Order: sequence, then structure tokens, then C-alpha cells
Amino acid sequence: MNRRRFKVFCAGVIIASALVFLVVAGVKNTSMRHFTPDALIAHAQEVDDKGIQVDGLISEGTTEWNPSKFQLTFAVRDRESKAEVNVLYANRIKPDNFLDGGNVFVQGKYNAAENLIVASKLQTKCASKYEAAEGATAQAGGASEREY
Amino acid sequence: MAELGQAAIFLSVFSCLWAMAMLWMGLRHNNYNAVLSGRNGVVGTFVLISLATGALIYGFVTDDFSMRYVVEVSSSDQPLLYKVTALWGRMSGSLLFWLWLVTLFGALVVWTNQRATDHLADYALIPISIVQLFFIILVTGLVEGVYNPLERFANGAAAADGDGMNPLLQTPSMAFHPPSLYVGFVSLTVPFAFAIGALAAGKTGSEWIFRSRRWMMASWLVLTLGITLGGNWAYRELGWGGYWAWDPVENASFMPWLLGTAYLHSVMIQEKRNMLKLWNIVLITLAFEFTLLGTFITRSGIVSSVHAFAQSDIGHYFLMFIGLSILGVIVLLAYRWNDLKSPNRLESLLSRESAFLLNNWMLVGLTLIILWGTLWPIITEGVTGEKVAVPESFFNQVVIIPGLLLLLLTGVGPITSWKKLTPSNFRRMFYKPIVLGLAGGLLAWGYLAWKGHTTAIYSALCVFAGVFVLAAISDEFYRGAKLRAKRQETTFFDGLMRLIRRNKRRYGGYIVHIGIVIVYIGILGSKGYFLLESKGLHLDESMEVGKYTLTLEDAFQEEHPNFSLGGVVFAVEKGGRTMGTMRPARGFYHKAGQGEQDTIESSIRHFGLNDLYIALGPLPENVPTHVKSGGIVSVQVYHNPLVNVVWLGVAVMVIGGIVAFCEKQVKGDV
Repeated sequence: MNRRRFKVFCAGVIIASALVFLVVAGVKNTSMRHFTPDALIAHAQEVDDKGIQVDGLISEGTTEWNPSKFQLTFAVRDRESKAEVNVLYANRIKPDNFLDGGNVFVQGKYNAAENLIVASKLQTKCASKYEAAEGATAQAGGASEREY
Repeated sequence: MAELGQAAIFLSVFSCLWAMAMLWMGLRHNNYNAVLSGRNGVVGTFVLISLATGALIYGFVTDDFSMRYVVEVSSSDQPLLYKVTALWGRMSGSLLFWLWLVTLFGALVVWTNQRATDHLADYALIPISIVQLFFIILVTGLVEGVYNPLERFANGAAAADGDGMNPLLQTPSMAFHPPSLYVGFVSLTVPFAFAIGALAAGKTGSEWIFRSRRWMMASWLVLTLGITLGGNWAYRELGWGGYWAWDPVENASFMPWLLGTAYLHSVMIQEKRNMLKLWNIVLITLAFEFTLLGTFITRSGIVSSVHAFAQSDIGHYFLMFIGLSILGVIVLLAYRWNDLKSPNRLESLLSRESAFLLNNWMLVGLTLIILWGTLWPIITEGVTGEKVAVPESFFNQVVIIPGLLLLLLTGVGPITSWKKLTPSNFRRMFYKPIVLGLAGGLLAWGYLAWKGHTTAIYSALCVFAGVFVLAAISDEFYRGAKLRAKRQETTFFDGLMRLIRRNKRRYGGYIVHIGIVIVYIGILGSKGYFLLESKGLHLDESMEVGKYTLTLEDAFQEEHPNFSLGGVVFAVEKGGRTMGTMRPARGFYHKAGQGEQDTIESSIRHFGLNDLYIALGPLPENVPTHVKSGGIVSVQVYHNPLVNVVWLGVAVMVIGGIVAFCEKQVKGDV
């Protein structure tokens, strides 16, 4: 390996390690555990007061939208068991496609004592009847798939 | 018609196999007639798949509700445009559309290369046909997990009406966003096929790059447009005031774009310096595979774990195809290993080559970071059995530094000389941009501090890099134009036009770089400095956002053919001055498959460089009655600075891309 190649190699190593460092630091700072409601209740104490993600279904009949307080409350239920977790989503509009029994993804801080997630992000996925076109994005769209 | 389409799909299996076999035999044994016959097979496949696609569209237009796919995505009161765009409303139709594009591009490769004396294009047709075959098999309906989009219900049953398309998708940008992404994705197949064809043929020079350059440029352009339309759709339709959230689906479209961008730069090193032959093939292969991987990620549902439904198997087929095609490329690379060595080496770390190399590392690095973040839940689940995900903020954090470095490189690259940057060159080219950039960055810092943002270090750095790039590139234009004007004894403007016309690729590229700077500034403003206010309002009450005051003045209700619109009217004031009105609403759809559904129909208005963005919370269907009887309206207002600058920047990028595309095929010295 001549000197120049060695330099290029070193530059590459430095850049690669810088990128790896960025990723590791980013993962460390931001990553959050992802649960089903059932698993969340089982691990409740471990994640008390921590950021978490949960996905499940919007429990039928639990949705309440309070327009003067600008608050959405509902329960997210497990797909397989009866486990339910309460969600409070404040100061944001109720997203589209928010239907009883529909899929929902919740991100926020969990309070184990009250079994409550104070949500910072809410994402509805199209109920099974729907599938957004490929490339449909973000909070309310998302590509979902149903069984054919 | 549907039966005819189905028959066409099955026949296309044979025409596709025929094309592959004939091309291969013809090329192996120098039999020109066989090659011709193979080309005809490629065109034949295109005709057959067009027939099938046409049959499906016919089903939509004539409301043929005995067809399963038509029932699922269309309904009789859907406007004609959305009946046609229902073609890609769901998976099986999307696959057919994808297939149709591959066959179209195959036919285009045949037509544009008829006079070519070498057989590079014919070699390229073989990988294209392999990709076609993969998609044909998927849409036949013989594969578990996907049904044939032309399938009818059993026993002649028919639905009275269709379920209709999701109302969120019934908007013009959603009509054009998926197809432009598809066109971008699918057209990447062509440069990839040329690379593979060149490897197979043993023509590892730069010829395949020249021959596929315009394809690559077009594909990059359309991808750029497609991604932007998606962001634009999210911004206008979803009511959360943003355009990009690092959703896996967005990432899936962004990664091939990053790789394609890297490839567009690295091929220039191969052309100029005959280096990086292997790397270019790897890059274009990765870009192609990432289009499939994107489909795998979004379609298999492994990432957005929101899908509780039994997973469709289609993801596995994509994964298998990705694996096999990568294996094929590796075998070919090993076979041609000795031809891929470059005679030249990097001469200096301070040269345009190194700038390009750094750009490549950064783009590929970014791609890997995004891939890592997107797949992180799967990785952790696989390793520890427990899913850990990274939120949007992860991406926002990690992309900043590589992103700023890339921005800087859009200016450094163009003003650094090939081979070696000498100190005198450095002084001549870098001095002014650096000084201007520093001035701009400091000014921005001062301004932001004055506005109360004390820790705006990244913003200041972004402005520094942006000004540096603009100065560097305008200097390039200025010097070139002045020189040309002097030589031709003409005006400066005329000189500028001649300059661009003489080297469309280069100066088109520079225009793209200017567009990138504009996009960065737009992202900086809209991601970094937006305001959000939420409030419940009654009639005649008002709220404030930034310097704007919004007063709820009135309510309205409109009837449309397939939905009704109910909303309120806001008077907008700034500093006591009336700025106009805004009309956010809710859309009430009565045919939404699963019954009633209402959606946010936000109102967006540009005031100079700022956007006001109003979204309404749920309301009862008769909005005027509700409001006038003292009902409350939940209002969410975003004050988004510089969002329209993002769209403007993309427009500039597209213009630059078109200029670069117009360059006739660059003839290599190989």
C-alpha cells in the first residue's frame, strides 16, 4: 500500500467511524422500546416514565375528543388479549382514519401507576379494509396491507 | 375484456422467456436473426402487458363490479381521474403497473438502440426480461399472497357498487405521486441492466455508462419529483403541518434517490479518470436493489408493525429476488474481476476526485444510516427478541452533520480542480466564497440570536455552507459567461446562454446544486422554526400565531359529487392589517368502504415566505348550524416559515436536471 492509498484508507476509516459514532449516539439517545399493550403491562415497571411505542387497536367505544381542552383520550387494546392501555393525546388534532377497532401506533411517555401513555405522536393506519397506495406516507397514510 | 387481459398475462410469460432465450442464443452464436427475434419478444411482452393493463382500466371506466380489484378500489361515483389512478390504488394493481413500466422501458430500449452497432443494449435486454418475468409471475395470481388484478368473483357474482378509494388518496398529488415514484424506481432498472449487460458482454469500459446516462438522469429527475409530490401530499392532506417524517415508506423512496445521486457523481470519475469501475457497478446495483428492498419494506409489513393481518407473502418473493439478483451480480463481477481494475490512482487528496469520493461516501453512509434506523426494530427483535425502535428525532439528529457536509461539497466539488488542487488555485477559487459564506453565517447567527434563538449553531453553519455554495457556483457561471462573451464579442447574458448550451450536463448540474441550497434553506426554516398553536374557538373568537391574528368569522357547507365539505372562514390579520381569509374544513365521505369517514381538509396560505396552515378537529356534519348555535371548533394553526422555498428549490433542481438531461449522449474516449 503506497502512502496515498494509505491516506485515503485512513480518511475512509475516520469518516466511517464518525458515522458509526453518530448512529450509536443517536440510537442511544432516542431509541425506545416497542410493545404490544399486553407486553407493555407486563413490563410496566421497567419503562415507567420512559418513552415507548405501542401498537394495537383503538378499543371500541373508548374514544373521547374534548374540543375545548383539545384532548383526545382513548384506550389502545391488544390484538390477542384483553390488555388495554390508556392514551392521552393533547394539543393536537385527532388524526384522520381514527376509527373504532382501527390500527393505531402511539409514541409517548408511559406512566405505569395510571397505565397511561401521554402521547407525543399518534399514527393511525388504515383499517384493514384500506390500503394506502405505495408511497403513501406519514402520520395518517402509511402503507398497510391486508390479507388476500 | 378481463379474460382477454388474463390471457395476455399468461401469454407474456412465454414471450418473455422467448426474448431471453433468443437474445442469449443470438448473442452467444452471433446470430443476428435470433437477436432480432428476441427484440421482438421484448416488444411483444410490452404489447401483451399493455393489453392486460388496458383491460383493467376498461374495467374501472365501465364500472365492472364483477372484478374483485375494481370493487376494492373504485366506485361508480368516483371521478374519472381517480377511477384510472385506482390502477395503482392497491397492491396487485400496483404490481401490474410496475410490470407494465418495465415492459415499456424494455420496448424503449429496443426502439432507441435499433441502429447501435454493438450489442450492448441487447445484452441489457436480458436482465430487463428477467425482472419482467419476476413481476409477470407475481401478477398471474398463481403465487400465494397476491391475486391477479383481472380476476373476477367466483360464479359470476358481482357487487352492486365498489368500496371506493380511500378519500385521502383522492387528490391530484396522490394521483401523480405513486406513478412518478414507480417510473423513477422502474427506470433505474435500465442503467442497472446496462451495467449487467456490459459485464456479461465483457465490455467493462465506460460505454454502458454513456448509453444509459439519459435513463439515469430521467430516472433521477422523476424520483426527485415523486418524492417531492409525496411530501407535498402529506403536507396538504394529512393535517399535521409537515411534509417529511422519516416514515419507513418515505425512507424507502429516499434511499434509492441517495444512491442514484451518488452514482451520477461517481460515473464522472470513471469517464474522466477511468477509475472506480467496480464501484459504479456496485452503486447502480445497490440503487436497483434498494427499489426492490423499498417495496419489500413497505409491502411485507415487517417494519410498520401496525399490521396485525396475516402478512402477505409478497415480501418474501421480493427478498428472494433481491438475494438471487445480488448473487448473480457477484458471480459476474468475480468473472470479470481483472477487467475492472483501474489503471489510474487518486493523485491527491485535494482534488475533485476526492471531493466526489467524499460525496459518495457521505451519500452511501447516509443511505446506510437511514437503512439502519428503518430496520432497527427488526434487528433488535432478531438479536434480543425485543423490539426497539428509533423515532423521527433519531433521523433528524444523525443526518445533520453528513447533510451539512454534503451541502458544502456541492460547492467544493465544482471549484476544485481535477487531479490536484494547487495553493494558487485554492486562493483564486475558494477565497471569495469562504469570506461571503462566513459573512452570511455570522449574519444569520446574529439575526437568530436577536430573534431569541441563541443556540442556532447548525442554522448558522447551514447558512454559511449555503452562501459558500451559491458564491462558488455563481462565480463559475460568471467567469465562464464573461470569458465566452468576450471571445464571441457578445453580451454577458448571451455568453451565459452559450456557456450553458455548450456544456449542458455540467451547468445543468450546477443549477441542481443551486436548487439543493434552496431546499436546505427551506428545510432549515420549516423544520427548525415553525410555530404551533391549538385552541377551541367559538364564532367571532380569535387566536394568535406569531404575528398573525385569526378570527373565526363564518361557517360554510358545500356539496360535491362524492363528498360534502363543511368548514369555517377565518379572517387573517397581521399588525391590524387585513391579510385575507382562510377556509379550513372537514370532508365528509359517505362511501368509504367501512362506512362514514371524515377527513381534515386543511387550508394553507402563503404570506410571503411564510405559510399559515389551519387544520380543524372533528365536527358534526352540518358545520354552519353547529357553529351558529354556539358550537366549538377545535383549531390547530401552524406557522411554517419557508416551506414554499422547499418546493421552489425542488423546481430549480428539476430545471437543472432537465438541462443536464438535454445533453446528447456524451461520447466517451474509451
